Amino acid sequence: MPKWKIYTPEGVQDILLEDCYIKRKLEAKLRRVFAGFGYNEVETPTIEFYDVFAADSDVTPQETMFKFFDQQGRILVLRPDITIPIARIAATKYRDARYPMKLSYIGNTFKYNELGGGKQKEFTQAGVEILGASTPEADAEIIATAISAVKAAGLENFQIDIGQVDFFKGIMEETGLAQQEIEQMRILIDRKDFLGVEELVKQHDIPDALKELIFSLPGLFGSTDVIDKVEKMAVNKRSLKALENLRQILNILDEYELGKYVSVDLGMVQSLNYYTGLIFRGFTYGVGFPILSGGRYDNLVEKFGKKCPATGFSLGVNMIMTALDRQKIDFERHTTDSLVCYNERGRKTAFKICNELRRQGLTVEMDITGLGVEQSKEYAVNKGIGGILNVLDEENIEVINLTNGESVKTNIMELTGRII
Amino acid sequence: MRYLNIALSKGRLTELSIDLFEAIGIDCTELKGSSRKLILTDEESKIKFFLVKPSDVPTYVEYGAADIGIVGKDTLLEEGRHLYEVLNLGFAACRMVVAGPAELQGKLDKLNNKRVATKYPRIAREYFEHKRKETIEVIKLNGSVELAPLVGLSEVIVDLVESGRTLKENGLAVLDIIADISARMVVNRVSMKMESERINSIIDGIRKQLEKGRLSND
Repeated sequence: MPKWKIYTPEGVQDILLEDCYIKRKLEAKLRRVFAGFGYNEVETPTIEFYDVFAADSDVTPQETMFKFFDQQGRILVLRPDITIPIARIAATKYRDARYPMKLSYIGNTFKYNELGGGKQKEFTQAGVEILGASTPEADAEIIATAISAVKAAGLENFQIDIGQVDFFKGIMEETGLAQQEIEQMRILIDRKDFLGVEELVKQHDIPDALKELIFSLPGLFGSTDVIDKVEKMAVNKRSLKALENLRQILNILDEYELGKYVSVDLGMVQSLNYYTGLIFRGFTYGVGFPILSGGRYDNLVEKFGKKCPATGFSLGVNMIMTALDRQKIDFERHTTDSLVCYNERGRKTAFKICNELRRQGLTVEMDITGLGVEQSKEYAVNKGIGGILNVLDEENIEVINLTNGESVKTNIMELTGRII
Repeated sequence: MRYLNIALSKGRLTELSIDLFEAIGIDCTELKGSSRKLILTDEESKIKFFLVKPSDVPTYVEYGAADIGIVGKDTLLEEGRHLYEVLNLGFAACRMVVAGPAELQGKLDKLNNKRVATKYPRIAREYFEHKRKETIEVIKLNGSVELAPLVGLSEVIVDLVESGRTLKENGLAVLDIIADISARMVVNRVSMKMESERINSIIDGIRKQLEKGRLSND
């Protein structure tokens, strides 16, 4: 007997009734926000060649990807991410298109994640990308879109932390550290391991002022004063330019009146190969992981053969659902407005009534059990249906209000407001 | 106000952690009692403590079930979690080492097939594969690791060493030091942002306590 036939693999889930309804609603809200900002949606294949993701091994390490082979023996993967396929599209399908181009997506992605706390192996990501614009306005719009999306999802208490990887890269240029040591430093700073940073710095011959600056990196987070504080210590053009860029983005966000959602973290240094400027992450209560992340990745599209600056973000739909649930934020639930019962004489009329009410936008269920009105009451109450329309014959209908048990007789004209 | 959750390592770190939290004015009386309750609360400062197995502390903190954790660096290295490691508490100091028969001193890379017995497979792999660029065979044990090279189960071991007495008495020697180990305070990445004020005041308080301790020891 097939041993596993009644199970699902670890890390994937059935999303049932209520949850599925909430998820679809949430996706619809996100889609509306993205469209409102002028993003056009695209759909990319669930299966891609491994090579598409192989070059960015620090954001999509090969151990985390689901891999298999096609008939020619080439390695395929279930997409771990949708940004990289969009970069592929931009460089190939839209090589000669008019830029900037604004794209959005909502789709399932796959990673061998450890489970728990909202993490699954199959999870839905929603996001947007602006391709072909390197202005701070583009970066600010990405953050503004992210904030609008989170608010539309129903979360009010959240925070977006923004940083700039070029600030770190600029400082590292001055230290003369080798690539491997820089990566080690990045990990320590990203972990806010003050002691580790100090130990690593001490092993190298670095000017004292620069040492001080590096020691302070893990602690450089908070309000925008962080930038003022560090500007005086900044060491070269590259790091100063990064701070200037960050300040511009923050100013624009202030004018969007979104300043209150944003704070600065210069010690946030994710993958240095992937990100080239702004980076940001979104946090909220109730989930231990970021609900969204994004930034500028000007070198990604080039890997597919077209030089093209780009910026974007993606948001974890399941993570948002977990947060909404933990924060006990109420959702609109699926409801059925009425159940239509009938006997044979009224059947034709019953169908007509259903059609008319559905045309008016109501949710109407037909009694398909054939058990009659008394038995249907129990079903309707159970399902939270507000009332029953009992079609008696071609003309007459009994309306039963299930919340108070009252019933009134009426006819088709009164009920639907017109002759049907 | 939301409760801050703190995960403490059950065992030798427990008492030292309690002393620190008491020193900064958090009421730990419930913790010191012999209660079987799993969650112990200080209502005044809105803090909940739970005592968990040391190797579970990083998990609780990474997932946000605990905002703060106290745990040994050995566990952090072994678990490799995504956390903020904000303070070195200094206590429970020891070293993670490679040890083996004294005659292997300086000849570690001459060994063709290395079998490494350890309670810390990840640390052992990380050290041999990334730092030494050598392939190893890991044999996971749960205790008395020193026995393995004596009975031919492995060539060397990776383990915590405090005084080195057990090694010496069994004719083993430290072949290389992998890392200095001591207790650390770790913080969930999201909590650090969402509760930054309260968490930072705890960190600052403890840092001051530690400095005071260091001064009085000197």
